[in-house]
Formats: sequence, structure tokens, C-alpha cells
Amino acid sequence: MELTLVGLQNSGKTTLVSVIANGQFTEDMIPTVGFNMRKVTKGSVVMKLWDLGGQARFRSMWERYCRGVNAIVYVVDSADHAKLPSSRMELHNLLDRQLLAGIPVLVLGNKNDLPEALSEDELIDQLELKSITNREVACYSISAKNSVNIDLTLQWLMKHASSK
Amino acid sequence: MASKKSDIDGDDTLFGSLDKATVVQEARAFNESPINPKKCRLILTKIVYLLHQGQTYQTQEATDTFFSISKLFQNSDVSLRQMVYLAIKELSGSAESVFFLTASLTKDMNSRSDLIYRPNAIRALCKITDASTMQSNERFIKQSIVDKKPDVSSAAIISAIHLSSLNREVVKRWANEAQEAINSKGVITQYHALGLLYLMRQHDRMAVIKMVQNYARGSLRSPHAIVMLIRYTWKIIEEDDSGSSRQLFEYLENWLRHKSDMVVYEAARAICSLKDVTPKELFPAVSALQLMIVSHKPTLRFAAIRTLNKLAMTHPNAVFPCNLDMENLITDSNRSIATFAITTLLKTGNEASVDRLMKQISSFMSEISDEFKIIVVDAVRALCLKFPSKQTLMLNFLSGALRDDGGYQFKSAIVEAIFDIIHSIPESKEFALSHLCEFIEDCEFPKLAVRILHVLGAEGPHASSPTKYIRFIYNRVILETSIVRAAAVSALAQFAVYLVDARERIKVLLDRCTDDSDDEVRDRAAMYLRILNEQDLATKYIADDSTFALAALENNLDHYLKTPASFSRPFDIKNVPVVSKEQEQADRQRAQAAARDRAATGQAAPAASAAAAAVPASVSEAAAAAASPFDAQSIYAKAMERVPQIAALGPLYKSSSPVELTDPVTEYIVTCIKHVFPQHFVFQFECKNTLNDSLLENVTVVMKMQPSDDPDAAGLKPEFVVRAEKLAFDIPASVYVVYRRLGGVTPTAEFTNTLQFIVKDCDPNTGEPDEEGFEEDYLVEDVEIVVGDYIQPTYVPDFERAWAELGDTHQVVETYALTAVTSIRSAVSTVMDLLGMQALDNSSAVKENATTHQLHLAGTYVGGIPVAVRARMAFNPSTGVAMEMAVRSRHPVVSQRVANAIQ
Repeated sequence: MELTLVGLQNSGKTTLVSVIANGQFTEDMIPTVGFNMRKVTKGSVVMKLWDLGGQARFRSMWERYCRGVNAIVYVVDSADHAKLPSSRMELHNLLDRQLLAGIPVLVLGNKNDLPEALSEDELIDQLELKSITNREVACYSISAKNSVNIDLTLQWLMKHASSK
Repeated sequence: MASKKSDIDGDDTLFGSLDKATVVQEARAFNESPINPKKCRLILTKIVYLLHQGQTYQTQEATDTFFSISKLFQNSDVSLRQMVYLAIKELSGSAESVFFLTASLTKDMNSRSDLIYRPNAIRALCKITDASTMQSNERFIKQSIVDKKPDVSSAAIISAIHLSSLNREVVKRWANEAQEAINSKGVITQYHALGLLYLMRQHDRMAVIKMVQNYARGSLRSPHAIVMLIRYTWKIIEEDDSGSSRQLFEYLENWLRHKSDMVVYEAARAICSLKDVTPKELFPAVSALQLMIVSHKPTLRFAAIRTLNKLAMTHPNAVFPCNLDMENLITDSNRSIATFAITTLLKTGNEASVDRLMKQISSFMSEISDEFKIIVVDAVRALCLKFPSKQTLMLNFLSGALRDDGGYQFKSAIVEAIFDIIHSIPESKEFALSHLCEFIEDCEFPKLAVRILHVLGAEGPHASSPTKYIRFIYNRVILETSIVRAAAVSALAQFAVYLVDARERIKVLLDRCTDDSDDEVRDRAAMYLRILNEQDLATKYIADDSTFALAALENNLDHYLKTPASFSRPFDIKNVPVVSKEQEQADRQRAQAAARDRAATGQAAPAASAAAAAVPASVSEAAAAAASPFDAQSIYAKAMERVPQIAALGPLYKSSSPVELTDPVTEYIVTCIKHVFPQHFVFQFECKNTLNDSLLENVTVVMKMQPSDDPDAAGLKPEFVVRAEKLAFDIPASVYVVYRRLGGVTPTAEFTNTLQFIVKDCDPNTGEPDEEGFEEDYLVEDVEIVVGDYIQPTYVPDFERAWAELGDTHQVVETYALTAVTSIRSAVSTVMDLLGMQALDNSSAVKENATTHQLHLAGTYVGGIPVAVRARMAFNPSTGVAMEMAVRSRHPVVSQRVANAIQ
């Protein structure tokens, strides 16, 4: 199956990939210039992960790598309240693209180990996920650092591997 | 194997009719899942193939393709990945946002698994790095430079060399890494690392010297690296004028004993091409080359003989010891080696060996192509001029070659060589002419026949038995095409003028030619018959040995045609300097020799033309120096025609030779050239800035006339100045100061000159100037207008007659005591410098220690007034030179002025 990870910079996409791939959390990551491509085997499923850079100059390229994937994973730093509005805007911008219609979206509120992190419900509210009606949308609150809800995330992803 | 075969077959079917649009469509396969590596590799090949065929991709197309290719990073097929790198490198120039692949490439660069990825990823990364991503990629490249794997390290060093054009400062910080890489065990890595180190230090002479000293002691194992080091060493020695870097020469000498042929050869070549090398220094290098010419490897033999050939041009004696070995090379199966061997031998050979050599060449000539034959003919020509006593042998060889098969170029080269020999070795004349006569009996090239007939006409009448040539010439009238017949008629006429005995008989022949079917032939015959009947006409038209300076004539005619206003008056031929035919030919030969030299060195010509292209507004000094005075003048004229205000002044009458107003080692070098126009006097200040950290703007010259006792000097009024907008380092530019000569006066005067400009500091590397500049004055030496500036040298065939014709009505006689000069010879050159006139009757040549001398000079004063000067001189050791100078012209003022020119 093919997955694309997008989201604003410093939301923890590359960290999440390495946690999924080898269960290790690395503290100091460098910003992704462009993209990283990882292949991860979970059970009988081979996942191809396109981990894209989140800085503003890369966002126009997201769409290219989301076309035809099994699911889009949108990672949000749930503790960074200031960036939420632009995160919401980028998400809706992306999902409005015609070519990406119908592709399921998994929104992950990362860094829930931090005290000021928002809960799932607050995120759904803030990101206006309810307004998305033309596709399947899920939202989990996770922590890549403490491996919270990573199993849940994988489960959701596995489910969508077979659906396509 | 099957797939390979289809690739080869596919050359026509798959790649022959490739269409870009289709390939762009096919590139969609990159987005498929799963990826088919074989198919994608083929598509990538097509993309790269099209790019190499010169197809260009629009930015959008290139970007789309580029990003589709990025999808291929999910597949780890090694050969696919290699093709991906290649395609990325090719597309990186035309696609947008190429830095997007940075993360993927750096990941490949650092991967531990597969070696093939790493060097290729580094090279691709260098291509997609721009100024903004340079900083973030720095760390990776720096790391890779010191990588243990030589190919990774090499790739990183090469990338660093490429990146230094992007940001030199960042790359300079990698010096430690580069130094470490030099100790790498990879042979090529050493070579690359040395190149990078040099790149960082090339502007710092001391650093380069230190580097050479450091690595010359044998820490380099790579012969390639040593070869590089030799070149750097050579460059340091060559650029150093003080001679202090001569100690480096020892290193060059040591390398001559290196075990690698490559190093030995490079060291020998470096020594041979040093500009002021001594025979003692050359000896070991030549010995090394001598060993190579007997090597069994053709490459070595070729390289060595080529270097020896070049050396033989400048130091024939040094090459002499190799002669025996080189003679063996004449039979070398590689014809290029054999040709070089022969031409080298011809340059170094002594008189005794010439006979043997010529025999060998004759047998060899039939085996080589025309192109090589021409080289041999040129060498034989040079040899013949060197050993005049061997001319019979050489001429036999050349005429033998004339009879052989060959194209026009080849035959023309031979005829040219024979002409040269006739010209410089008078004893050869008769023998050579008879060979030429024989040749035109059966010559398939009318052009050559015409030239030979001309020479026969010019030289034949003065030979011991001239009549024998007449038969050959008249045969042409009967047998050949019309242009050859016409040339033959002219040649016959020459004989008729000089040979009184044969005149009547030749007239009969010419009479027959008036029945010719061709107009030109009939016309010529009729004209010559008429001329021959009147002795005066004959001397005027046929026996006249003066001609116009062709470059000046062309220039004046060109100017006349470009100014329709002047059409009301006929073209004034008086303004064109007259020279003797001999002089004209000497000029032309000098130009030819210069051209040959340039062709031999192979670089001077493009360099000179490049310089001329870079400085369109100013005169390329090199070109002016190489050409004869009249050609120099036409170069100045062309430069001035580009300045509209000056072009409006009319045709240039005379340009003086350049006068240096500064020492050649000062910060700004200024030379002045004085130009006389019909109503104006123009000073051209050619300025050159020798400081690489400054830029001059708005350059002008302020001239102040000194008080003068010449009343006419008041008629000299400043009119305008053409400034030089900027004067950058090493790019000369000209400032023109224009004076009007009211009423066409021709005063003498002296001027003080000050260069004024705004100077700005600038970066020596980039040439970027600072915003702020400040005004500065720079005093240069005085410049003087002398009478000679207004006089064109003119050649008159018969001075006595011209002198008599001018008459003594306006003769002015002055006597001078020239106390400052110490001999007649220096008195003659002083007078000629001051008057700028043509010396006649060979009167400019003075015998050593002569006590009396008579000097004859002729010239044309501005306005087309002929002037003649007769100066009698006597020398007395106690009082210096006493001179009585008589000046004649048709104009009293002019005579007086010329007579007063000596002060």
C-alpha cells in the first residue's frame, strides 16, 4: 500500500515514520528538504511511506505525491496552537484538489505528551473536520515520543491497505 | 542477453524516430505501482537521449518529468537508480524546484548498504544544489570528501570543484578536508584533491609555491596528480619575472627520473616550453624525450616527437643530439610521427646531412596526404633559405614534387616556396625559372600559371639568356585559356621593354595576339604595342617599381565611398602614400611570416582577436605592433570610425607611431598616438589600468599648450574631447582630444597632459566596484607635435628627377650643427624621426664610422604637397655633425616649415 505523510513543518512526520519503521524515537531530527521515501513491512503488508517536507516552499508539491495513494496521513502538532489556523487551511486546500477526491484521510494530533496538547474532539473542532463529507476522515491523538496510540494508527492504516 | 540485443537493434526502431511528446507520455509509467524497473530505465534512457540530441524541454515539461522521476526513488533496483541520477543531472538545468530531491539524495549519499549509490548521489546532489541549499548540504559534502572509499571521496571533490563557482567562500572552508583527501589511497582521488586545493589557492602565489614544495617531495603516488603538479610548477616559473622561483626548477628535473612515463614526459615538456630556458637546463629534458622516441609505444613516440618539433623552432641546437634517432622515425608506420620527425630534422639538420635527408623524404612523399606534404614543403623552404648552397638539391626536390600528383593547395605551396627561394637566393633564379617554365607547360591550375607568368615577366628579362623564356611564354598564348593568355601577353611586354634586341620580334608576337578571341587578351596586346612605341610611356607603365600602400589606399577609397558629400570632387590619390613594390612585398612577407608564427604557436591569433573583440573602442596593441606602419594606421582609422564625432572629421591623413607617456611599470600606462585630419589634429591617449582592485570612470585628459614661438600655434583651437567611460583592469580604452587647425595651419607645439578620472575601489575577483568613488589627477609626460607628424613618407623611383622637377624656386637651405649626436648614423635617424619621410636611394643606411653622408628624403605634406629633402652631413669628432639641409617643394611655406623642423 502507498501512503503520503503531510502536515506543517515540525509536526513530527519524519519522527513518526521512524517510529513506525523501527520503533525508535529520535530526539534531534533535521527538517526534511524535499521528501523521504521509506518502505515498511508490517505483517503481510508492505507500506510505502512518502514523507514530505512541511515547510511552506514544499507545500505546493504535496499534491503530486498524494495522487493515487491509499490514504493521506495529515500530521498536526496538537500543542502548537498558533499554527493551527494555517494547518487547517493547508489541509482543506489539499483536500479540495479534484485529483485527490475520495482518498481517505487520517488526521493525527501528535505530541499529546505535552501538557497544552489538544484532545481529539478539540482538534476535530479546530480543524473543522466535520465539514469534510466526500471521503472517510478519522482523527487520533497520538504521541510518537511515547508510542501512544501508534497501534491504533497502524490498525487504521492496515484496514485501508486491503480496501483498495 | 536478450534485452541487450534488443537495445542494439533498437537503435533505429526505438531511438531513431523518438518524439518528445510520446516520451513525455510514456513517463507516466513512473507513477505506476508497482514500478517496472526495466521499462522505466528504458524511458529514462530515451529522455536523456533526446536531451543529448539537442531537444529542449520547456520549464513545465521538465518540472513534471523531474517530479515523476522522483517517484522512482521507491524502487531500489541499482541500475534503475543509476539512470535516475543521470536523468536528474540532465534535467536539473531546466526544471524548477529541483532542490526537492535534496533529502532523498542525501539519504542515498549516506546509505551504508550499496556503494554504487553514494558517489552518484553526490554528483547528482551537486547539480541540484543552489546558493540557498548550499549551506545545508555543506556538511554532507565535507564529510564525503574525507570518506575512506576513494570513489566517494572523488565524487565529493569533483562536486566541490563545481560548487566553487556557486560560492567560492564556502568551498574554501573545506581546505582541511581536501588536504586529508590528498593522502587517500585512491589514485584518482589524489589527482582530484590536488585540483581542488589549487582552485582554492590559485590567486595566492605564495600558497601555490608552498603547495608545490610540499607535495613535490614524493608524497603523491598518483602520476596524474604529479602531472598536475608539474603544470602548476611550470606556471609559477613562467609567470615569475624575478627568477626567484628557479629553485622549483630542481623539482622539474627530478621528475624526469620518475618511473611513470606520463610524469617524465610532462616534466620534459614543461622544461622545453619554459620561456627563457638555457641549453644546460634543456639537456636532461631532451635526453628524456630521446629515450621516448625509441619507445615501442606509439603514443609516447608521438608526444615526444611533437614536443621536440616545437622545441626545434626555438632551440634547434638542443634537439640536434636526437637527430640519429629521429631519422629512424621517418620510416615509422605512423605517418603523423614520421611527418613530425622529418620536419624536425629539417629544422635541426646540418648542411652535411641535408643530402641524405632529402633522399629519404623523396621516397616518403608519395605515402602521405597533401596536408602533410604541405608541412614538408614548408620545412624544405625554410631549410633552403638556411643553407643557400643546397638550393639545387632543394629545387630539384620541389620541381619533382610539382610533377607529382597533388591538389591545388599543395602545388600552390610549392610554387610559393620556389618564389621565396628566387626572392632570397639570387643564384637560384635561373634554375628555378627553368623549373617553373617546365611546370607551366603542363599545369592544370590556371591560377598558378598566371602567377608564374607574372614572376617570369618580372624576373626573366634580367636573366642571362632571357630569350629562351619567350618561347615558353608564347606557347601559353597558343595553348591556354583566356586568363592565362592575358597574363602571358603582359609577361611578353615586360621582355619587350627591357630587351631592346628582341623588341621587334616580340612586337610581332604581340601583333598576333590582337587577333585573339578574348577581349582582355586583345586589349592588353594593343595597349602594350602602343606603349612599346613610346619609351616614356613604357618606363611609366611597365618599368615603374612604385606602388601605393594598399592598406591606406583601401581605407581612403572606403572612406570616399561612405561620404556622398565628397562625390562632387574626384578621389584624391595624392593622400595615399606611395611605396616601392619591394617595400610593399616586404610588408606582405612580414605579415605572412607573422601569420605563420601564429599558426605555429596556435594561440596568439585567437588571443589577439579576442582582445580586439573585448575592446572594440580601442586599438588592439598586439595587432598594431605586428602589422606594418600603414596597416597600423588603418587599424587606428577603423577604431576612430566607430566614434561618430571623429568619423565626421574626414579621412585620416597620417598617424604617428605610439609615444609612451608613462613608465611601463606604473599603475596606469598611457601611450599617445597623434593623428592628422584635413582640418584637425587628434591626440589619441591609449590608457591601460594595471591595478586589479580599482576601476576608473569618466576618464579624460586635460591638455595645456606650452607657450610656443611658432606663430601658427595660435591657430590650434581645442574642439572637443571623447572621454573613456570606464577603464577596468587590463582592458585598454582610448581618450581622444581633438584640436581644430584653423585655416589648415600646421604648427609645432608642446603640451602638458593630465589624466583626470573618478577612481573606485573594486573587488579583484569579481570586478564589482564600490558605489563611492573619488576624483583623481594623474600627471603624464609631455607630448609634442613635430613637423614630421604632417608628412607622409612617399616613395619616388628616381630622386634626382623628382628633385629636378620640383625646381629651386621654393628651395630653402639651412645649416645646422648637431652637437648632441655622436655619429652620422644617429644624425640620420634623428632627422628621419623628426621629418617622418621616406629615405631613398638606400641613403638611410650609413657605413660604420662614415665621416660624410648624403641623405635623400621624400614625402607628401598634408594637403598633398610633395616635398623632397637633400641633407649633406659631415662628422667631426670634436664638433659633432654639421648638416646642410636643402628642402624643395612647390610651396614656400611648406619648404620653410620642413627646413625649420630641426631644432
